[in-house]
Amino acid sequence: MVKRNKLEIIKDILKIIQDSHGLIKITPLIRKSNLSSQGFYQYLDGLIYKKLVLKTDGHIKLTQKGTNYLERYSSIVGFIDEFGL
Amino acid sequence: MPPGFQGMIQNFAIGTELIYSFVIIACCLIIYFGTRELYSLTNYRGIKYFRQAFLFFAIAFFFRSFIKFLILLFNSENLFNIMHPVFAIATTLLFMYFSSLAIFYLFYSIAWKKYNKKWIVYALNLLALIISIVAIASNNILIYLILNLITILCAVILIIYAYSKKSKFKKISQLFIIYLLLLVFWTLNIIDLFIPNFLQPIQLLVYFISIGVFFAILYKVLTKIGSK
Repeated sequence: MVKRNKLEIIKDILKIIQDSHGLIKITPLIRKSNLSSQGFYQYLDGLIYKKLVLKTDGHIKLTQKGTNYLERYSSIVGFIDEFGL
Repeated sequence: MPPGFQGMIQNFAIGTELIYSFVIIACCLIIYFGTRELYSLTNYRGIKYFRQAFLFFAIAFFFRSFIKFLILLFNSENLFNIMHPVFAIATTLLFMYFSSLAIFYLFYSIAWKKYNKKWIVYALNLLALIISIVAIASNNILIYLILNLITILCAVILIIYAYSKKSKFKKISQLFIIYLLLLVFWTLNIIDLFIPNFLQPIQLLVYFISIGVFFAILYKVLTKIGSK
């Protein structure tokens, strides 16, 4: 199995939330993200800090910025790959 | 030479400089602001250094055009004859500092994953400042160019070494050609600024190819950030 990079893991987490109509409880999100609990919370803190998601009453909500990330993901990866960044 | 004809040549030279600087600065700023969204979404360090490199190119070209404009306007090769020595030193220092920094950041944007230490960024800033101060203190543009080129050569060797075993190397090597072209024309631009007569016969050609290199990078950026 190919190891996912950070950007890909973020995309996967955001996609799970989007597929759950933009709102999901933390426990199923941890399970579906295929990450350890500790790893997941590190990513979650990063996502909240970047305002890609919001934490409300035990739920995680996808923000407009998070939706933009998913829409722009292929551009982001293409850009990084093109310039060897 | 009749004074009217000389005036025409001077106006042509100033006009060419203004258009050239405007095009390069515009290219750099379009790259910087065009990639803002990608950076704000990801906070990815590679994108950060890449963007900053082009911001520094824009700042360096602004100071370059300012120096060149004064030299052409007052018809003097020495900036110290035109303005107060403090301002002359400050302008030259800022040009050299941002110029070196732009190239360093561009190469570090490729290398940062392999050499991921926070102190490297501070070291690059310090190195650019030291090189600029040494060049100004020695009043020798060759020292500035040689020190920069030695640093860049070391960076290139480290990058090639780091990526030589990866499949990404082919992609990186294609990019290297554009970056090395950029480096060559960056060097020629600096020579053109400090030794104005050296490149005079091919000055327009250097300007056209420099613009071509920046356009090539801009085109690559726009096609990538525009594709959803």
